[in-house]
Amino acid sequence: MSSERVAVVGCGQTHHRKVRDDLSMAGLLREAAERALADAQMDWKDVDAVVIGKAPDPFEGIMMPEIYLADALGCAGKPIMRVHTAGSVGGSTAVVATHLVSSGVRERVLTIGFEKQSEGDTTWGLGGGRSGSVGAGGYFAPHMRAYIDRSGAPDYIGPAVAVKDRRNALKNPYAHLKLENLTIETVMESPYVWEPVRRLESCPTSDGAAAMVLTNEKGATEGAAWVHGTAIRSELGQFPGRDPVNPRGGRDCAADVYSQAGITDPFNEVDVAEIYVPFSWYEPMWLENLGFAAEGDGWKLVEKGVTDITGELPINVSGGVLSSNPIGASGMLRFLEVALQVRGLAGEHQIDGARTGVGHAYGGASQFFAMWVVRNEKP
Amino acid sequence: MRDVAVVSFAPSEPGLTGVEETETQLLFPVINEALAKIGITRKDIGFTCSASCDYLAGAPFAFVQTLEATGAWPPISESHVEMDGAWALYEAWVRLQHGDVDVALAFSSGICSRADIREVLSIQLDPYYLAPLWLDPLSFGRLQAEAVGQEPPTQAPAYTDAAAAVVLAAGDRARELVDRPAWIAGIDHRTDAHYPGVRDLSKSESARIAGQQAGVDKAPVDVAYLSAQYPHEGLILMDALGLTHGYGLATNPLMVSGLIQVGTAADAVIKGDANRSVGHASAGPCLQQNLVAVFEA
Amino acid sequence: MSEPVRFVSQKVDLDYKVVTSPVARRFDEQMRAGRITGHKCPECGLVYVPPKGFCPIDCVITDESNEVEVRDAGTLTSFTVITPIQYQGQEEKEEYVLANILLDGASGTIGQQRVEGIPHSEVRMGMRVKAVWGGDPNEGSRGWGLTGAIKHWEPSGEPDEPKEKYQEHVL
Ligand SMILES: [Zn+2]
Repeated sequence: MSSERVAVVGCGQTHHRKVRDDLSMAGLLREAAERALADAQMDWKDVDAVVIGKAPDPFEGIMMPEIYLADALGCAGKPIMRVHTAGSVGGSTAVVATHLVSSGVRERVLTIGFEKQSEGDTTWGLGGGRSGSVGAGGYFAPHMRAYIDRSGAPDYIGPAVAVKDRRNALKNPYAHLKLENLTIETVMESPYVWEPVRRLESCPTSDGAAAMVLTNEKGATEGAAWVHGTAIRSELGQFPGRDPVNPRGGRDCAADVYSQAGITDPFNEVDVAEIYVPFSWYEPMWLENLGFAAEGDGWKLVEKGVTDITGELPINVSGGVLSSNPIGASGMLRFLEVALQVRGLAGEHQIDGARTGVGHAYGGASQFFAMWVVRNEKP
Repeated sequence: MRDVAVVSFAPSEPGLTGVEETETQLLFPVINEALAKIGITRKDIGFTCSASCDYLAGAPFAFVQTLEATGAWPPISESHVEMDGAWALYEAWVRLQHGDVDVALAFSSGICSRADIREVLSIQLDPYYLAPLWLDPLSFGRLQAEAVGQEPPTQAPAYTDAAAAVVLAAGDRARELVDRPAWIAGIDHRTDAHYPGVRDLSKSESARIAGQQAGVDKAPVDVAYLSAQYPHEGLILMDALGLTHGYGLATNPLMVSGLIQVGTAADAVIKGDANRSVGHASAGPCLQQNLVAVFEA
Repeated sequence: MSEPVRFVSQKVDLDYKVVTSPVARRFDEQMRAGRITGHKCPECGLVYVPPKGFCPIDCVITDESNEVEVRDAGTLTSFTVITPIQYQGQEEKEEYVLANILLDGASGTIGQQRVEGIPHSEVRMGMRVKAVWGGDPNEGSRGWGLTGAIKHWEPSGEPDEPKEKYQEHVL
């Protein structure tokens, strides 16, 4: 039983900002979708099916927004689905869309991840409207402390990631945060929000959307990115002995997607990766979890500049989640950015000759994972 | 396409309301039953798709809790839709087409008795133009009844609490698990426009396309289970699907009612009560979104 | 000239009934009596505090026959100092410590527990803590659930636990 090959023929994203009050929610999705369709040289009418994803509905106060968005996304008479897997949703939405094509069920699928954080309150939503919501940072901070404790990483590693990603964002016209002249010292001087996490080590709240057009081989255009593997994993959020620092779900997800793509040595075989780093310390943590570094060694890659845009394994050259965080889009942006890289269309933050890219997203209590591998050549 | 069938279906007891258990606790027995019926365990599942709704739970991440009913340790390959469970079944069917996985689980849960669902559903509408009007589902039902010249309903079926689970299997694996797999001869879902003013409310174009794509009219249908809340919805759907008879909803456990109708249609084939059945799920105001599945022995 | 309107605030007010499951009610009754209880899974032997009514690993249902009592003291395995974000309905104004605590007798931690009675800069992983119960169980003034009945946790004065005792219990 063989699957259809899947090509990424269109990529589009909004200019992510703290507030996009020039657009409605539907307008936000359309800005990304129209850019993706233009890139694919397609029109709305060419789309067979739409798959959208976003984080919890209480973030904007709209229940099942695909119901309302159907009109603006040209869906009358077409199928539309809505995926929700917490922070990993942008990634898992792209995986659902990929499966629609690889299964042979649909030929041309438009997939969109989005969040319009300015039209709601995420911290309020996370707390279910009650007092005492600590936000995602408050939840993850003890895990980052445990990583620091376990690995013995110096305290400037987190700030170094924050500086690197914001420098990269200066090369990305779509990125939200544009922080010039940021240094490790200025990051370390910024106040703690969820100690050990400082304000400048945290993602912003953004309005934004990401969209991709996926087709089967028949519909593929010259210069498409090709999907060589997708994987998702979910694990229980809390049980005795669970390790949120190096969760097995992430390791299994990576092993699965590498095996589909024939990758045995990720550090040497992957040219560029976009991994979900909403708080600085997650870069070294996920480098280990995804097999790019041995356990306890992730921070050493950061320290040596290996993950810089000029390094051996460039990570988050788009600026990453630390520079733009439209939550439901954040995972899809990771997938989209590596597709742009292998297509050679990333512009100023292009890694020369990138042929293999890895996109990654995580969510919940570090318990939901989604990944894909894309290349410039057919599988 | 690969042959995929529903091989087991287990809903919670019908008409539950005011349940004290969590959604996870509601799911445990139905997942256990769906697996026990065909003699498999959670370890035999290659893909899981769940469905739930944060606005029923009144808190974000309802699916993080319900994941605890799946035995997700070691980690599993799992996805979630914030839609009726019938769409989880659809995603599982898509996943099984790939050939690397032979058995999938789809389930959904929803507790309606902890909030005023007429109010809750009004925030499913366009946030800029419709939601501020607090249009509730019964008002939409009355509007659509007028459009087909039927007596406007004065009451919607009670919103109830439920959970349901369905096991799907492909090819020979399905034949091993059950004598009469309910083969999915066709399945499709479509939406209409959201604005009631821009579509002909006397018809359901989306149900018609979904039904046609699923191949409802390719052979006679023995039994159909439709997510019709009111008599006029039944008429509209039967017209769209070319059916002469269909069972509607007695109660309406949101997020689960569609999966129950589709699962019941499949179960009719599994049990030998029908050779060809149709299951239907719907979402949104005035039957905006429709899913149709055709099962054959 | 007035500023153009960019946002119109629309507050959605929905009421939900919070229903306690029979398992949570039983746990609460025990908390009111000053006892912290969990369920011990008959298959894997792990002790879940608070009890879930099932073991999510083995997928077996647990009930009162699986109930065990754990100590109201334990080891702080990790923590954060929160600067509360101000949003509609937020009552927290000052910095506070939230910790994950491995209670003596439990297999896993209880998360996001308040720690007081120590300067924030002195809170550390491996520190031993004990519960400070609130209200009076006889007067019915004790709060609901884990965080209602226990006001906060404070250092017990026992020596810190070594790394290997807490490192695998971040969560
Ligand atoms: Zn157990």
